[in-house]
Amino acid sequence: MSDRPDLLESLRAAVAEGRAPSPADLTRLALVSDPLVLRKAGKLLARLEDADGLRPLRVALLATCTIGSYEQILRASLVSAGVLPDLVPGPYGMFELTLATDPFDGVDVVALLLDETCFLPHDWAATDVDGLAGHLEARLADLRGLVLSAVERSTATVLLHTVPLPAQVRDSVISWRARAALSKAWAKLNEGLLDLAAQHRQVAVTDLVSVLADSPFPARDDRLHRYGDLPYTDGALSLLAREVRRFAQARGGLSRKVLALDLDNTLWGGVLGEVGAEGVQLGGLYPGNAYREVQRTASRLRDQGVVLVLASKNDADLVDEALTAHPEVLLRPEAFSAKAVNWSPKAGNLREAASALGLATGSFVFLDDSPFERGHVEEELPDVVVLPADGDPAHIVRTLLAQGWFDVAELTETDLARPELYRSRTLRNDFAGGFGSSEDYLHALDVRLVVQEADGFSVARVAQLAARTNQFNLTGLRFDEAETGRRIADPDHLVVTFAVADRFGDEGVIGAAWVDRSGVEWHVDNLVLSCRVLGRGVELAIAAWLARQAHAAGATALRGRYVPSKKNGLAKGFWTDAGFTAEGDGAHALALDAGLPEAPAWINLLEGNEVAR
Amino acid sequence: MTETTVEQSVLEILAGALDVSVDVLRGEPVLARHEWDSISSLDALAQLENRLDVSLDLRAFHAARTVDDVVALVRPTS
Repeated sequence: MSDRPDLLESLRAAVAEGRAPSPADLTRLALVSDPLVLRKAGKLLARLEDADGLRPLRVALLATCTIGSYEQILRASLVSAGVLPDLVPGPYGMFELTLATDPFDGVDVVALLLDETCFLPHDWAATDVDGLAGHLEARLADLRGLVLSAVERSTATVLLHTVPLPAQVRDSVISWRARAALSKAWAKLNEGLLDLAAQHRQVAVTDLVSVLADSPFPARDDRLHRYGDLPYTDGALSLLAREVRRFAQARGGLSRKVLALDLDNTLWGGVLGEVGAEGVQLGGLYPGNAYREVQRTASRLRDQGVVLVLASKNDADLVDEALTAHPEVLLRPEAFSAKAVNWSPKAGNLREAASALGLATGSFVFLDDSPFERGHVEEELPDVVVLPADGDPAHIVRTLLAQGWFDVAELTETDLARPELYRSRTLRNDFAGGFGSSEDYLHALDVRLVVQEADGFSVARVAQLAARTNQFNLTGLRFDEAETGRRIADPDHLVVTFAVADRFGDEGVIGAAWVDRSGVEWHVDNLVLSCRVLGRGVELAIAAWLARQAHAAGATALRGRYVPSKKNGLAKGFWTDAGFTAEGDGAHALALDAGLPEAPAWINLLEGNEVAR
Repeated sequence: MTETTVEQSVLEILAGALDVSVDVLRGEPVLARHEWDSISSLDALAQLENRLDVSLDLRAFHAARTVDDVVALVRPTS
């Protein structure tokens, strides 16, 4: 909003006070497209050493050229995702040696900055493109070996990118046939880089070439390239930094889960109450095709697990009728996991929708054409990402997708089922109204808890839960995929998943526990549980199951900790509720020789591959 | 843009890149007396070109010794 302080001033104040920038400023920072502002912001934020609310991330930055302003631009981008980066630039001119030998201890991400010098020979003959193609293949194989060796000796993820073919290289070949062959060889090189993501779970690749092709920034400033070995402009670097930010956000579970959509002039053109269902612009030629594309895009996001919420000031019956009957509508009423169609302020509606879904408003993106509605939501709910849908409707899809708000590292079964899960949840809340006591209700829900040892199929989901779960996260230890995989293979550790189903649907895997069982006492290193299953006694059934397992294995005690964070207050009483004794400083213990805790009577606990039906 | 505005903008940009106040730079306009290294000079170049909508010859830019030299480079020639 126009009366807000300048973003850089706000960031300066946050740094001076040693606190994280406000959620609204983080969103503003993420939306900055001017690389010079990012550069200045990065310079300021370098002084922020510790800030509650930002997730620490150690990033090694290795480049085949001068890193230059990329460090500052990348820092600003990462902070905008809610991350406090510790950036460690590699030494200049030692790219391969560092990648080959650095142990990357404690490093989360090794971000590579590559240019053509990594692949081209010092000199090459324009008359021998076949020879050049062979050289590119050999250099790709070298880099592949270096990257794979780096991930084998550490738990860090290596993040790399495709590399544009410089115009000076391409255009110095004058034969059309040979130039096509050169472009093909370069495309093959980039294909090989992209293929690295399929070869190892700890490798991620972004397609910088296609990002640059669709951007207003030139890739290179020839003066700076020649002067300082700076092959990319600040604009190009800001695009690459945005990709790294999207990856860090996805890896850290910091992405958004919910898309709240306005209706009039957002999902269709015109005002339903004024023109009626037959009068709205949707489908056919422009601008109706632009609105239909918005619906198609939202539908695709939903297919990948994004929860859709309808937030419209309208007559609910009229909206239902239009969504059901209009032949061009792609988002039918059942596509929305929650609907807030009324005349109340939208901020309150979004708050209620979040509560009904069991999600925080900080997981919401809100798209609306009205500056008034957007401004109100920004004021009331500063942690919601608010996007404009006014102006030419042809731009709405780009506005919605450009920042990658919903990115995930990998889609899991639970992601795919999420919209239906949350729709069931809102139905479940309605069902609860008809019971005399909550215990009657819980019995009638027919809750089934399936406990299973984690394996190669579930490891991605377990890592995702570790990264994303903030509220019921007992110790804050976020075991990533590599560490979880290591523990799964180690008999001294136990990693288990918890899935919940009830009469309204299957919630899928909603929790996980990491247990150290190397001694006579078992230690729960962490237990995380999605908030959407709380209130059904599932957590107590899990504690009872863990105690029974430990006892059966001959352990004398089961121990666990509660480490308070800004967000996990609701899990504070978990251990004592489950019958454990507090020992001070967050430590809790349960002696296993004096009777074991019972799971709540309304929960049907199934183990292994028993089917929860 | 008037000459005074250009001069003021150049001062602000150079001061920002050098991490000193405008007054300090005005008092000591020789760039080498501050942290005028490759990083700060390229930072200043990017901002000068962006804010003043000019494109500079890097040789001439690196030959500039003082704030006035930089102002002369970016001043409209008409």
